[in-house]
Amino acid sequence: MKLRLSPQTLQVLDAFLQAPKDWIYGYDISRNTGLKSGTLYPILMRLAERKLLETSWETAEVGRPPRHMYRLTPEGMRFAKEHHLQPATRRPARVAFGGVNS
Amino acid sequence: MSAIRRLASRLLGAAVRHSSSKSQEWVRAMLSELDYMESDWAALFWALGSARAIFKYSVPRQLHTWLGTRSNEEEGMLKHMRRTAAGTLAGIGIAVGVLVAAFGLVRLLLVIFPAPTLKGVESVQMLAVIVVPETIFVVAAVALWRKRRPMAVGLVLSAVTLVAHIVVHLTTH
Repeated sequence: MKLRLSPQTLQVLDAFLQAPKDWIYGYDISRNTGLKSGTLYPILMRLAERKLLETSWETAEVGRPPRHMYRLTPEGMRFAKEHHLQPATRRPARVAFGGVNS
Repeated sequence: MSAIRRLASRLLGAAVRHSSSKSQEWVRAMLSELDYMESDWAALFWALGSARAIFKYSVPRQLHTWLGTRSNEEEGMLKHMRRTAAGTLAGIGIAVGVLVAAFGLVRLLLVIFPAPTLKGVESVQMLAVIVVPETIFVVAAVALWRKRRPMAVGLVLSAVTLVAHIVVHLTTH
């Protein structure tokens, strides 16, 4: 199955490449790329469907729900590097990534 | 918890309840993020966007599943109906073609060999445009009945329509 590489998808892949080994939360990707949840999650779902993205549930803090985390698979990493955004088209990051080191 | 955040939470909670098992993990993921947002309005917009995302994800898949289920059960029937309709229409088309050809032939013969009396012309026309085509339709319908029934039905329908037309014509004139 071929993945539609929209500018938003490239932005998401680029965001993952900034911290390739870290697990990242959806909200952090949204803040970093400026994509709304309605745009971001369909992209994440498609990436996960094509085995380019792995997902995991973070163990919950007391009184807070567990969070879903995302990380590129080795295949996803290769794919992202192949389609890496040119620096000129890359959106400047607004906030630092709240990535979770594995 | 503010009313706005409660609304956002309820919206995604409803999405969790109504989403398919495949998308439920994703809706839960979006819902859990709400608790980590500082702004209530950001939470509400997040929930609205998430609902849109789930809708975009689920509806085409649901539709695909539904069509897939239907294709197993009803696709055969639809195919049969399409084939029957095409056969019947082909039968009617052939009948109309035969009638037009017969009528055109009679007209052409009358132009080439002008008839001396009007009565003679009517008899030839009756024979060429009604009796001969009707015979062809009936014979063809009988021959095709076993192997190409829809086409035979089309021919029979045309024959019946032609007879009905003649009856109406004769009774009114």
